[in-house]
Amino acid sequence: MEPLTSMGILALMGAAATIAGASEDLESDVGSQSNPNSQVQLAPQMMYPHRIYNKAVSGEPPSNALMCAIGGTTASVLMSTGASVMLALTIGSIIAAVIHGTYSVTSYIGRTASQKRFKQPLYLDLIRTHTPVIMGYAFITTFCILVVSYLMITAMAHPFPLPLLAFIWGIAVGAIGSSTGDVHYGAEREFQNVEFGSGLNAANSGNIVRKAESGLRNGIDNSWFCSKFGGPVTGIAFGMVVFLTGWITVVFDPSISETMGWEAIIAGAVIVLLLAIWNRKIEVDARKAYGPYKKDEEEVAA
Amino acid sequence: MIDIAGIIAEDFLNIAMITLGGVLISLGVHFVPVGGAPAAMAQATGVGTGTVQLAAGAGLTGLVTAGFMMNVTDNMGLIIASGTIGAMIMISVTMLVGQWSYVYGVGCPPASAKVKYDPITKDRQDLYVSQGTEGHGIPTASFVSGIIGAGLGGLGGSMIYFYLLSIENGLPEADFIGIASIFAIGLFFVNAVIPSYNIGGTIEGFHDPKFKRFPKAVLASFIATFLAAIMGVVAIGGM
Amino acid sequence: MSAGGGSGGAHSAIPQNNIIAFGVIGGLAGIYGAHFLVDMISPYMSFLGALGAICGIVWGASAVRRVANYGLGTGVPSIGMLALGIGIIATTFGLAVGGIAGPVVALIFAALIGLVVGVLANKVLNMGIPIMVQSMIEIAAAGAIAIVGLSTSMIGTFMFFDEVVNGVVVAQGVATGVMTTGYIAVIFIAGGLAILHPYNANLGPDEKQDRTLACAFEKGAIAMIIAGIVATITPLASGAITILIGVAIWYISFSKYYKLVKRDAYMISGAGLLPSKEELE
Repeated sequence: MEPLTSMGILALMGAAATIAGASEDLESDVGSQSNPNSQVQLAPQMMYPHRIYNKAVSGEPPSNALMCAIGGTTASVLMSTGASVMLALTIGSIIAAVIHGTYSVTSYIGRTASQKRFKQPLYLDLIRTHTPVIMGYAFITTFCILVVSYLMITAMAHPFPLPLLAFIWGIAVGAIGSSTGDVHYGAEREFQNVEFGSGLNAANSGNIVRKAESGLRNGIDNSWFCSKFGGPVTGIAFGMVVFLTGWITVVFDPSISETMGWEAIIAGAVIVLLLAIWNRKIEVDARKAYGPYKKDEEEVAA
Repeated sequence: MIDIAGIIAEDFLNIAMITLGGVLISLGVHFVPVGGAPAAMAQATGVGTGTVQLAAGAGLTGLVTAGFMMNVTDNMGLIIASGTIGAMIMISVTMLVGQWSYVYGVGCPPASAKVKYDPITKDRQDLYVSQGTEGHGIPTASFVSGIIGAGLGGLGGSMIYFYLLSIENGLPEADFIGIASIFAIGLFFVNAVIPSYNIGGTIEGFHDPKFKRFPKAVLASFIATFLAAIMGVVAIGGM
Repeated sequence: MSAGGGSGGAHSAIPQNNIIAFGVIGGLAGIYGAHFLVDMISPYMSFLGALGAICGIVWGASAVRRVANYGLGTGVPSIGMLALGIGIIATTFGLAVGGIAGPVVALIFAALIGLVVGVLANKVLNMGIPIMVQSMIEIAAAGAIAIVGLSTSMIGTFMFFDEVVNGVVVAQGVATGVMTTGYIAVIFIAGGLAILHPYNANLGPDEKQDRTLACAFEKGAIAMIIAGIVATITPLASGAITILIGVAIWYISFSKYYKLVKRDAYMISGAGLLPSKEELE
């Protein structure tokens, strides 16, 4: 293919992936999913009942993989009957979002009912207000992942079938979302009541913030906060993964010659090296800017 | 009826290499710095997610790049290298952006609680661990370890895929790409869960004392993958 | 994802052996029923395969509940993914070599790999969970039943290879109909989550067996609906009936589940404040 065309397609894929990443993270913040949810789960036991949606749909990777695989399957079924691509991807995403909604509701009511002895009430208005928001974000995530997968197959001639490729990108977006944006929710938003600039002291476990700017805090308040940092960085991360893994083979096209293929590998290795150097720079800067938490006792003694 | 013994004898190299791929995945997972649930609250060093999830995310991204490469060339080295690089890019981006979250979102410097000095940069670690935590963020040693781990995972995953697809069964490759890839995914999950049970779900990287347990998981993965590899090769070889 | 479980030993009203029987017999009956009745009566009978898959899913969910109650150290999802990983391997092998005995071969080999992994987990990895071996066998076998059942209901047969008469494909096999098309991915994850989600979604000290199993039926019905969606485009399986029955099972089991949640929850409130301090004491 023309390098310019494939570059444009890659840019579109990167943009769709960025949106998918951001909405994936916000979806997990509204419902409180994955690792930060362990604190929401713990809170009632520590005598802190709350009004936060306890959406424990496994980890984020399997739950996103499920959404994307369902969307990809439905879309590929529709496309084989001759439906237009846009329609097929949209209907696939709607079905995926609805099924994700049932998973969310069963886990919220199930987990709350299993906390009877800690007197955690089950709030029906949370189900009514949060589930549509969760489904909305799930729709955006699934749709964008399907766009990425569809473009990879049709424009880049990737050999994997659509449901399988969507499944794999679902696992990847979930893994990235739970590794990056969730930290902002788990370590900062849930514990705004303690001083900024440190990890969660184990003594504070379960003491999550339960009051909001107005009224009691819920998942939608959390997604408002996380949309300022956690969501966008997750989007950047997933967009970067999709873009960079594709970029090396678009610029150094292995179908032209094997030498080009090896150049693509070298380009990838250089990218990894640059990222490692960037990480080191952040580490040094952070240590300098924030300083140590305690004094060096050995030096003081000497 | 399929000639099982014949297929096993004929494709023994494939079985051996698939087993090796499984073992590499299992070894690789030990390198991936995962703090599990506590890391999401900046309570433990490493990426704030589960071992299986992160390893699978990276390894399967590698499978996507390897699958793409296999479509345009049949140079084995190139296919396996592209799987490795794909997984390495995925994990470095994830760890870097995770680091942004810790440094800019939570405001704590990366620090390990398992070692006093970072084995690579020789930076002092214990002073930078905030009170009541087991470290936080991704120090350089963990970052490098993660790259190695994901690389091994991507390498193993793409080896499994390559050696499943290169079985001679008289069919064009396109007919069993679906089987080979889902089989590789299945084997990937098996070999990601076994080491994660071995390390109890969290590890900081190669400098973590838990890392020394890796021979056990490698042995377990070897046995399980060998069994599975025979089944996979027979199923595809008999097509 | 939170590390599950208390000190081990889940309380069960229905003994596990009954659930094993339900899973194995119901699962195989559904799969074979679908396979033969599609040939004999009409493609409408393909829904039986998904019913078999639901039996396997409920069995698997019950086994997950028992083993995850010990606390695996890495959350409930990992064991579900392990089960389906093994299930995929055993199913591909079993259906490819087994012919008409395919589902049984898949079941046996899934149990075999489950046995090996379970023994390795306890002996080599020193996990020391007393029911680990039995549970791994059960979960892996249940995963295999779910995969074979859903595949059968998608294409109306569990034969691995295409049926070719005079060089013309008259019936697609699992290899081309389910695996090459990539639908196996959705079977993998929908079956896997249906097995691991029920216990994960009900994790907590007041978890009850009947509520978890009601959730397993509900999630199994969702997998059935998805299988029905795929079946709409395959000639030897009927999607409409599968989807309709799936929706009916979903509605019944969700209502049952919600009723059990109402029975078990501390308080169900339309909207409202948190419990007061006095109430918590």
